[in-house]
Amino acid sequence: MTIAALSMPLLRLELRRNPTRWMLPPIAAVFWFISFRASTAYPPLWNVRAMSMQTSVVTVFAPALVGAAAWMASREARRGMTDLVACTARPRWGRQLAVWAATTGWALAAYLGCVGVLYAVIARQAAWGGPLWWPAVVGAASLPAFAALGFAAGVLRPSRFTAPLVAIAAFLVLETSVQLIHWDQPYWQVSPLVAGPWEIGTDQGVATFYRYLPDLPIAQVTFLAGLTAALLGGLGLTAGAGGRWLRRSAAAVTVAGLLAAGVATGWAGTGRLDPHGMIAIPALHDPADDRPIGYAPVCRDTAIPVCLHPAYAGYLPAVADALEPVLREVAGLPGAPVRISQAAATYRSGPANEFGVGLAGPAMTGTPPVFQLLLPSQLPGPIRPRDDLVSTIRTDAGRDLVAVLVGADRDPSPAQQAVMAAILHTSTARLDPDTAVAAQRLTALPAAARHTWLAQHLAALRADRLTLEQLR
Amino acid sequence: MNVEISDLTRKFGRTRAVAGVSMQTGAGVFGLLGPNGAGKTSLLRMMATVIPPSSGRIRLLGRDPDDYRERRQIRRRLGYLPQNLGYYPGFTVVEFVEYFALLKEMPAAEVHRAVATAVERVGLGDQARAKLRTLSGGMLRRVGIAQAIVNEPELLLLDEPTAGLDPEQRVALRAVLREVGQRATVIVSTHLVEDVGAACGRVALMDRGKIVFHGTPDELTARATGTSAAGDAPLERGYSAVLAEARS
Repeated sequence: MTIAALSMPLLRLELRRNPTRWMLPPIAAVFWFISFRASTAYPPLWNVRAMSMQTSVVTVFAPALVGAAAWMASREARRGMTDLVACTARPRWGRQLAVWAATTGWALAAYLGCVGVLYAVIARQAAWGGPLWWPAVVGAASLPAFAALGFAAGVLRPSRFTAPLVAIAAFLVLETSVQLIHWDQPYWQVSPLVAGPWEIGTDQGVATFYRYLPDLPIAQVTFLAGLTAALLGGLGLTAGAGGRWLRRSAAAVTVAGLLAAGVATGWAGTGRLDPHGMIAIPALHDPADDRPIGYAPVCRDTAIPVCLHPAYAGYLPAVADALEPVLREVAGLPGAPVRISQAAATYRSGPANEFGVGLAGPAMTGTPPVFQLLLPSQLPGPIRPRDDLVSTIRTDAGRDLVAVLVGADRDPSPAQQAVMAAILHTSTARLDPDTAVAAQRLTALPAAARHTWLAQHLAALRADRLTLEQLR
Repeated sequence: MNVEISDLTRKFGRTRAVAGVSMQTGAGVFGLLGPNGAGKTSLLRMMATVIPPSSGRIRLLGRDPDDYRERRQIRRRLGYLPQNLGYYPGFTVVEFVEYFALLKEMPAAEVHRAVATAVERVGLGDQARAKLRTLSGGMLRRVGIAQAIVNEPELLLLDEPTAGLDPEQRVALRAVLREVGQRATVIVSTHLVEDVGAACGRVALMDRGKIVFHGTPDELTARATGTSAAGDAPLERGYSAVLAEARS
């Protein structure tokens, strides 16, 4: 249908003289200022940077494209060409599709250029993995839809004011629509602004240990393609758009587009947070995507080896340095882990848009035991500076490790608290006076003597059979 | 006959712009004269298939423009220059003419040659790569004529084609019209009586939506004989005499 309506020479001519191309440099500049800088501010992980790009790139391209398409659609009326083109043989719909295609083509070229540069930068910086294509595909699929939206507005209201008005309206609608995206209104997830669970935001923990789930992107691309078809098909329904056969084709395209958009919205409505932090849609979900991706961890040869997923290789020196003092204390103790190994985060959604992120099971697993570590950057929240990351790992992961080792992970006894403070070399100010004294006594011991004492008494300590007085 | 019109009317609201016009014409240059508001442009727009008639019958190039398929066939063989020529200022002369060649569904292989020929025929060969925004009003008018003739039309409809042209260009345009008129029907709507005298083999004079005279320019001139009709040239006096008679 469209192939017949869109002759290549006409499309070439429209491409050559389409003013959208003059908008590309400012769009590229805005992309750099908003999307590129925001994306590259994140650590060089494919998942987080590509998802950040998808969320911001739509708001960069959509308003300008909607305006440009409306401007082009109103061209004939603004330029007094209506009579002249009305008496030509080519159906009006075909003429309009050529203008829309040229406008969309330039926007797509700019988009692909911008995303190409961003992906090239990520590819140079990322330690592991390859390009994440789905966020780029969703962004690309949104361009024809927004162009069709602006084009339809320009055709229906051909005025020089239509273009700026619809551009501003598109920006405002996009900005306000994010307020509607919640777990309890999952249909809004079909918006191309959504790259993952909206409440969690851009999260470094997803799509590294497990595949990037294509469920939501498939629904979004289907919705956008349907919307594009419905809008463009709708233009072919009007009187004078073409002959009976062409208008029937346009009606079929419109109906198919509406159906596709409706089905995709329905799919998005069934989307749920999956254990690996992405949105799973039952009708589209492939169980094969739930299998973890194989990888060879990168390790640091500390007192107890610290191993991370290769995507996080850049964090390894900081993580190992942060844990080194604790690992020296506990290495070789009965029940001490033989390795510290980074684990995948597990996500749980709760009522009222709540969610939880943590380990799937106990921190210490296996024989010989391995301590499962979650990096702070795997948890939702702002990007942390390196010093903050080190102190968080030392206090949180180090404390968790020692707590598991001394059996203090639940309701610790005074003796367990004192031993933890001594191993972690933390302040005793918040301990009760007797516990603090015992902790200071143990801390004052030479490291080798403390290690020997711990080796002898760790089983009793873990069984909560030691009193403060029995601590040296 | 390339144009067969019978009792054609066109209303805009309560106004009857064309009120029961009948005419037939074959190959040749046909002049459509008349004062402002006579209905010339409305008649031309109906013949150009831009607007449908309110009533009456029209056949163009032996086809019925009411039927979509036949209308498309007519449009492929039609050239039209509206009174107010719109244009895309960013297009070059060649691109603008090429655009209309493509909209008229000319075979892609023929477009390049046809565009070059049309641009040369209107004397814009040296301006072929100029952007339309840089051209004068007269040059733009010639671009409009080029797009109208690019498909070698069998029916060429020109609404005030010489408006804005200098005398030299008008002479050249008349030559083009005579040349096209040897094999096609050319209908020229104009205020300028001398254009009709110089280029047209037949002429119709419209007033208040009706054709009040149909004949040759010489016959129109002869209508002034024995009257005190105003005018600087014999044809103008014939024009005035017919109008005065129609309105009396």
